[in-house]
Amino acid sequence: MKLQGTYKFKASQEKVWEVLTNPRHLEKAIPGCEKLEEIEPGKYDATLKIGIAGIKGTYKGMAEVADPQPPHKYRLIVEGGGSPGFVKGEALIELSHQNQSTTVSCQGEGQVGGLIAGVGQRLISGIAKMMLGQFFKQIGKELKAL
Amino acid sequence: MPAKQGGKWVGKGLKRKEDLRLLTGRGSFMDDIRLPNMKYAAILRSPYPHAWIRGMDISQALKVSGVRGVLTGDDVAAMSQPFPVGVPIPPKYYSSAVDKVRYVGEPVAVVVADSRYIAEDALDMIEVEYEPLPVVMDIEEAAEPDAPILHDNIGSNIYSHRFFQYGDMQKAYKEADLVVKGKFLFPKYGSTPIETYGVIASYNPFNAEFVIYNNYQGPFVNHSLVAIALGIPENKMRWIVPTDIGGGFGTKTGLYPYIALIALAAKKTGLTVKWIEDRREHLLASATGTDRVTYMEAAVKKDGTILGLKDKAMDNTGGYIRPPEPGCAYRSTGNHTGAYQIRNLDREVMVVGTNKCLTAPNRGYTCQELYFSVERLVDMVAAELKMDPAEIRFKNFIQADQFPYTTTTGGVYDAGDYPKAFQMALDKIDYKKIRKEQQQARKEGRYIGIGLATVVDPSVTNIAYVSLALTPDQRAKGHPKSGSGESVIVKLDPLGKAHVIACTNPQGQGHETVISQIVADELGIHPDDVTVSDVVDTHDRVYTITTGSYSSRFASVGVNAVVAATRKVKEKMKKIAAHLLETNPEDIETKEGKFYVKGSPDKSILARHIAGTAHWNQSALPEGMDVGLYASSLLSMPTSQPPDQLDRVDSSNTYGFIAEAIVVEVDPETGQVQFLKWASVHDAGTILNPLLLEGQVMGSIAHAIGGTLYEEWAYDENGQCLTASFQDYLVPTAMEVPMVDIGHVETPSPLTALGSKGAGESSTMSVPVAIANAIADALAPLGVAINELPLSPNKIWHLIQEANKQK
Repeated sequence: MKLQGTYKFKASQEKVWEVLTNPRHLEKAIPGCEKLEEIEPGKYDATLKIGIAGIKGTYKGMAEVADPQPPHKYRLIVEGGGSPGFVKGEALIELSHQNQSTTVSCQGEGQVGGLIAGVGQRLISGIAKMMLGQFFKQIGKELKAL
Repeated sequence: MPAKQGGKWVGKGLKRKEDLRLLTGRGSFMDDIRLPNMKYAAILRSPYPHAWIRGMDISQALKVSGVRGVLTGDDVAAMSQPFPVGVPIPPKYYSSAVDKVRYVGEPVAVVVADSRYIAEDALDMIEVEYEPLPVVMDIEEAAEPDAPILHDNIGSNIYSHRFFQYGDMQKAYKEADLVVKGKFLFPKYGSTPIETYGVIASYNPFNAEFVIYNNYQGPFVNHSLVAIALGIPENKMRWIVPTDIGGGFGTKTGLYPYIALIALAAKKTGLTVKWIEDRREHLLASATGTDRVTYMEAAVKKDGTILGLKDKAMDNTGGYIRPPEPGCAYRSTGNHTGAYQIRNLDREVMVVGTNKCLTAPNRGYTCQELYFSVERLVDMVAAELKMDPAEIRFKNFIQADQFPYTTTTGGVYDAGDYPKAFQMALDKIDYKKIRKEQQQARKEGRYIGIGLATVVDPSVTNIAYVSLALTPDQRAKGHPKSGSGESVIVKLDPLGKAHVIACTNPQGQGHETVISQIVADELGIHPDDVTVSDVVDTHDRVYTITTGSYSSRFASVGVNAVVAATRKVKEKMKKIAAHLLETNPEDIETKEGKFYVKGSPDKSILARHIAGTAHWNQSALPEGMDVGLYASSLLSMPTSQPPDQLDRVDSSNTYGFIAEAIVVEVDPETGQVQFLKWASVHDAGTILNPLLLEGQVMGSIAHAIGGTLYEEWAYDENGQCLTASFQDYLVPTAMEVPMVDIGHVETPSPLTALGSKGAGESSTMSVPVAIANAIADALAPLGVAINELPLSPNKIWHLIQEANKQK
């Protein structure tokens, strides 16, 4: 499952970078995120509650900001599992600045397994896209609140 | 050949005795059984298709209020043995994963709790640490040397691999004018019975005995296998099957590992444990038929004579191989050349493993895969020779005067008249006229196609076929296998009413009704005076390892057993009558419940008086005779023999015939297939009950429509099952099943007491290829090749687009 999107923010590249790598903001922005705790620099323990294709469940896992090159790019690695199955994803997040706004492009790949794959795979890429949209919308709100 | 039974009841469309209780919701199924202090199990299943289990923490689950215990893979390994399976190197197949998972949905732990709700909640509290491994999902890739290996002890993913030569294929090639080749792909599908799997197990430590209620399709060989896995003698494991089973279709033979698993959970917790499979579990991890890749070629003469076949078939039993596999590769050996006089055959068979769920016999047990190749290829030969596909079939048919006909692979076809049945199917669709209409339609831009298939319908498998997995030399070192046993006890009460105790364990076929009809005819009583108990209870039924309901065996060997036992009772009644009437038993004749002296009908005694005497007055019986009135028979088909040195085997013991003639119209814009006409002609020997036969044929057609157009147990490239609900695993409803003109030819079998033979699976074998042939015929002007299923609108549309691109 491929994930793709570009999002624009009226803020400096440094500010966007700060929000995109700060667990305080991420916790609010990640859809269904109940807890995000930094266990070591760039690595977080996460608990997510998500419903996909009528299957609600709690996923426990970790998120990692890998190979950070502030304020340009990093790799975001997410892994989680729970009773409905597991989710795994890796995305390249790139930031660029032009005409006073920062563009964030996200290119990644996700994999789901277990029950959610068995009953919801048809719907998942749509849901993932929607969640990605929700995430960046909230990031925009966080930026404005700064 | 026995005369066609002209009984008063046999052959009549008697309504089913079963229907009143079933239609009023009074059936007794697995979930209707509630035992005292019963607890409930839920199964934790792997979300990974291939992974090491590096750790499991059940401590939190055990703390949940109401949880009574958790069974893990470590427990399963400590408390049981792997199931034995007849391949050179068996994988270690336990009832749950032990240290590795090999398909999504494989059981990894069982929670036992006061309710199913609590058990399922507790599953969430079990932490399993998986180390994912690369997966292999494709049959041909699985056989490659660099494929990820599922079982280290085997060292490859090839479970079984053999070559066979029958006749002289080299000679056939020399004599042939041309060779026509094809590659055919058959999907993985399963029949999804309305009632899912169910098990209730308890263990009594005082006599070391398990009592297990389950909805399995017989004791079959699997009662033995579960006993071996549990490390107990068979007489320490009682299986009880409820009166009603909501569909089997072979799928329920995949239940047995769960019988072992729940039995272990019961033993570990010391409780009576119930598990009812839910639909998602069923669609992830019950059992399907095998998917198959077939390369097949035919050596033919210009006049259409098929001299020989050469094929390579690769089956896929998934993450493990378990009995009765590798039967998938060998079960249709005797009828491999179908309805034709083909004397030369070279076969290569391979059974491989991939990270998919496991297999069991289903719907014709690989005859649908076989005929999909054979009958597609026959059409392709006809197209190559510009022959009519009906004509090439007539040209190659075994003829009515050739029966019993021994095939080159050792099958002994008992009876049939293939040209007659096929002609009936052609007449029903007005074949010549429809061919002309097809030409006209093409001119109008409409895509009408006619699909034919003529196949042999094997019933009563001979267990011998499983030993073909071993070479003749390997077999010589072991013990030969053969047989197809069935058992029946008939007893008469003091008023002459009959009680039949059978072990055929029906799943909706109507055995109660047919047994009543047969016994009524034999004894001259009314079917209402016959009560039938046809369920498995291994402690009070007699059986052999082949007993049960599978491979359409009731109308052949089941009926033989019913007739044999009833006739034994009747013989005893004649002896009693002769004694009372002071004559010889051979001088006694019977009519409508009366036993009388030949030539003196006034010297008679009523059957119920004979029965009364047997029970009430032993002093009136002939000297030395046992009291009471009962007889049993536990018999097999005499033609069930082990394979010979040349790997020839009569893999089934009776063989019916099916001719399908289907007219479709394909919408090239949408890929939608519409049925315009459909004739399905069957020869299942003497018809026992036309109403039931009609129902079974129609049911097999509905299943086959699913298998042809809709169903596929689909996986993504990462090994995730994509069809774990009926949203994605499509099955036909009444709306998708057209009216079919069903016809019958009755060629009585010489091997069965009443001339009847099995018909339950029938069209599941012939319809997939008949529809495929019809669609291929419809789209022939577009140059579309049809060699795979399911033929969903989506797939047909894509095939049309591809063909257009190539133009």
